[in-house]
Amino acid sequence: MTALVSARSLSYAIGGKTLVDDVSLDLEAGLLTAILGPNGAGKTTLLRMLTGELKPTIGSVRMGDETLHTIPAWRLATRRAVMTQATSVTFPFTCYEVVRIAMQSPRRKAASASAMDDTVVEAMAVADVLHLADRFYHTLSGGEQQRVQFARAVCQLKSSAQFGMPQVLYLDEPTSNLDLRHQLMLIAAARTLATAGLAVCAILHDVNLACSHVDRIVMMKSGRAVASGRPAAIVDRSTVRNVFDVDILVCEPPPAGTPYVLPFTQRPG
Amino acid sequence: MLQAVGQTSAKGRGIRRAGKLMLALALLSAAGAPSIAAERLQIVSVGGSITEIIYALGAQERIVAVDTTSLYPPEALRTKPNVGYLRALSAEGVLSQNPTLMIAAEGAGPADTLGLLKSAGLRVVLLDEQPSTKSVIDKIDEIGRLLDLKEPAQALSTKVRKEFEDLDARRKTIAKPLRVMVILGFQSGRAMAAGRKTAADAMIALAGGINAAGAMDNYKQLSDEAVIDAAPDALVMAQRGDDDVLPANIFDHGAFKATPAAATHTLIQMNANYLLGFGPRTAQAAHELMSRLYPTTAAAKP
Amino acid sequence: MSAEAATAAQVRSFVAGRKRRTHLGFLILALVVILSVVVALTSGPIAIPPQRLWALARSTFDGQSSGQSSPGLARDALVLFNIRLPRIVLALLLGAALGVSGALMQGLFRNPLADPGIAGISSGAALAAALMIVLGHHITGVDAALMQTVVMPLAAFLGGLIATMFLYGIATREGQTSVATMLLAGIALAALAMACIGLLIFISDDRQLRDITFWTLGSLGGANWQKVSVVAPMVTLLLGAMPFLARGMNALSMGGAAAFHLGVPVQIIKTVCIVLVALAVGVSVAAAGTIGFVGIVVPHLLRLAIGADYRALLPMSAMAGAALLVIADAIARTIVAPADLPIGILTALIGGPFFLWLLLRRNRNIDL
Repeated sequence: MTALVSARSLSYAIGGKTLVDDVSLDLEAGLLTAILGPNGAGKTTLLRMLTGELKPTIGSVRMGDETLHTIPAWRLATRRAVMTQATSVTFPFTCYEVVRIAMQSPRRKAASASAMDDTVVEAMAVADVLHLADRFYHTLSGGEQQRVQFARAVCQLKSSAQFGMPQVLYLDEPTSNLDLRHQLMLIAAARTLATAGLAVCAILHDVNLACSHVDRIVMMKSGRAVASGRPAAIVDRSTVRNVFDVDILVCEPPPAGTPYVLPFTQRPG
Repeated sequence: MLQAVGQTSAKGRGIRRAGKLMLALALLSAAGAPSIAAERLQIVSVGGSITEIIYALGAQERIVAVDTTSLYPPEALRTKPNVGYLRALSAEGVLSQNPTLMIAAEGAGPADTLGLLKSAGLRVVLLDEQPSTKSVIDKIDEIGRLLDLKEPAQALSTKVRKEFEDLDARRKTIAKPLRVMVILGFQSGRAMAAGRKTAADAMIALAGGINAAGAMDNYKQLSDEAVIDAAPDALVMAQRGDDDVLPANIFDHGAFKATPAAATHTLIQMNANYLLGFGPRTAQAAHELMSRLYPTTAAAKP
Repeated sequence: MSAEAATAAQVRSFVAGRKRRTHLGFLILALVVILSVVVALTSGPIAIPPQRLWALARSTFDGQSSGQSSPGLARDALVLFNIRLPRIVLALLLGAALGVSGALMQGLFRNPLADPGIAGISSGAALAAALMIVLGHHITGVDAALMQTVVMPLAAFLGGLIATMFLYGIATREGQTSVATMLLAGIALAALAMACIGLLIFISDDRQLRDITFWTLGSLGGANWQKVSVVAPMVTLLLGAMPFLARGMNALSMGGAAAFHLGVPVQIIKTVCIVLVALAVGVSVAAAGTIGFVGIVVPHLLRLAIGADYRALLPMSAMAGAALLVIADAIARTIVAPADLPIGILTALIGGPFFLWLLLRRNRNIDL
């Protein structure tokens, strides 16, 4: 499998501080990749470089056979969608409108209005937010807003599927405000998208969620990628101790043989 | 005005019915009609002194509208339509009064409005508004000419000129000119005084005084120190209305206590429009001010 | 699954309802604009009844110069076509420009309090105008008429433009414009401009002071076809860019990063938006002084009525702004006839209470 997005030796420094330090990373179609790490590890900065929002100080990101920064925004938007941590919307847009904005970027080939409405409904169903369609976005709870944004990102990709280009979905802590059911639902939806051929890259905090659902994990600490690989291969006591500064017990419960972790105390000194 | 509209709209209907032939006839009849100039003048008077002069000439019934600065005589604004402030005239508003002539003080506008009025065929005459005796007399003569009232205008300007000449004569008898400060009002206890380049400055000179606030231009608020430094021998309060309130016992507190005027309690209150209007009553105003500044000279002549 | 299908059906009917509402909104606004123009054409200190409009139009087109047909008709034709009509057209253009600019600036700055002049145009233009009113004669040496008709409007336009370019320059680093920086710098610049105007007021005489006051309140009194011909192209540019800007504005309401992710050329949108608004508002301010309130109230009013989608909001802001200004101006020239009331007073008097009423009766869950 060839890498859809391939980042080489990415570094990002601002104000004399290096936020991301020499990280390389491949995102492959059909795979769900999770970036894990403590607060301030540089996860979001890394993601912003992968999405094209930030230009790396050193290194470069390639998408397909192009350098990310040479791809104009409107074309990039047909190939990758991003769901950021918390997105506020300034004016009283309904959720339906928020999702539909995904199809409004200039230069986008105009589909018929009804086809666009179909795509919106489809995307909202994936994120289980159809019942929120007529609600004003800013009146929703944080979790509901996250799901609407997920629907928006899905809508963006679904509406560009016609171009036949491989697509990437970036999720920055998509489950941070979600209840248990919706956490699992969102991850499952992401998995479905990956199965359909997308590359999905998510920053997650819940190590268990990552371990049980993703194909690859990249562990970050202090701007560096300290470990990467299949969950079973890299999530062990010493790595987690090292990355998160917590003591854990790695257990292997009966189903599927995926590891899960149980933080119980902070690592002394 | 209603009548005029009815008449013209009847004409409009006539044209519409009869078509081009009728239009041609209307053109002919319009050409044969008496010219506007020969009709009775309908004047829009813009500027306090201009309105005052027209009233003084007894031609007030020719005024169809005045502006907000036409404060004297008071019935002008009471009985005539008001076209607004002289710097913010409305073209359609002025035209709605069916004027044949607009006499306005220099500075009336805005310029775009004046342009529209002229393009509408209204004769617009702008008169010089310098605060000087010459300007007053010129204005009277010019308005007399415009209104075809040369004789009354001649009489008025002769009278005014004589009054000014008397004033000059009286002024020469003043032994020691007083330092006079004209105050237009008080804001939070501080006096708004008239400096150079103001009508008040010219009036002080006419009345034989020296402007105590002559170190500055225009109307400005004076600090307490500036009041003391100006050292006025007399204060002249220009009152906007009858109910202008003076700070109680102005000489008892603040900077004015330290002025020479306080020693003699010389506070003269005069109507602002009368004092500063530079119209036909200006000579009288100057006489009055002079009499009140120099009571001994007053005996000489009214 | 059938429950989901039912929800989907509900959503579709909700969307269809919104669309109908938007179409109805456009229809109503179009009628309001037409009605306001007719009312404005037939109201003013000079009585021209509606049935006379046709006769006047005929006489103007029939005879090459209407001046010869009949004195009354000629005068009315002149009032209608050279005074009232340019005024109405200018009101339409300015109202549309202010409405659209307000909506755009609120979107660009993601700030519901933004007004059309927020990007420095108002401050710069006001300072330049005050400068010309007080010191113009000393600086340029031209006479009063030329000053008022050409020099001052030009100065106001340039002042606004320079201020905007200055703010834009300050806020732009490495090709990225920070709207937050621009907003803050704009506040600083406004304070600075106010201080300079205060200084000018201090050295001004009575008449100049009143000129500044009148200018600040705005007036369409000096409208003529020449002004219309200068204002029209700038406003047309702005209105023509609406479809392009609307999509970008919708995305920008989620922030610059999100808009970029959605494929919006954020920097181009920002630049186009600022330049077009600066031109349109700058030329408006030059033509009629500052007219407040239209740009801030109209977009909010429409958001409460039809929602925030810029694709409907922008054209509707243009229509509603135009209608509001035409009506306000019609009142301005009749209420104290034959004098003119500054139009800024009226836009605030009409818009303010209406807006407050809307805020009071609106659904609590709509937050600006």
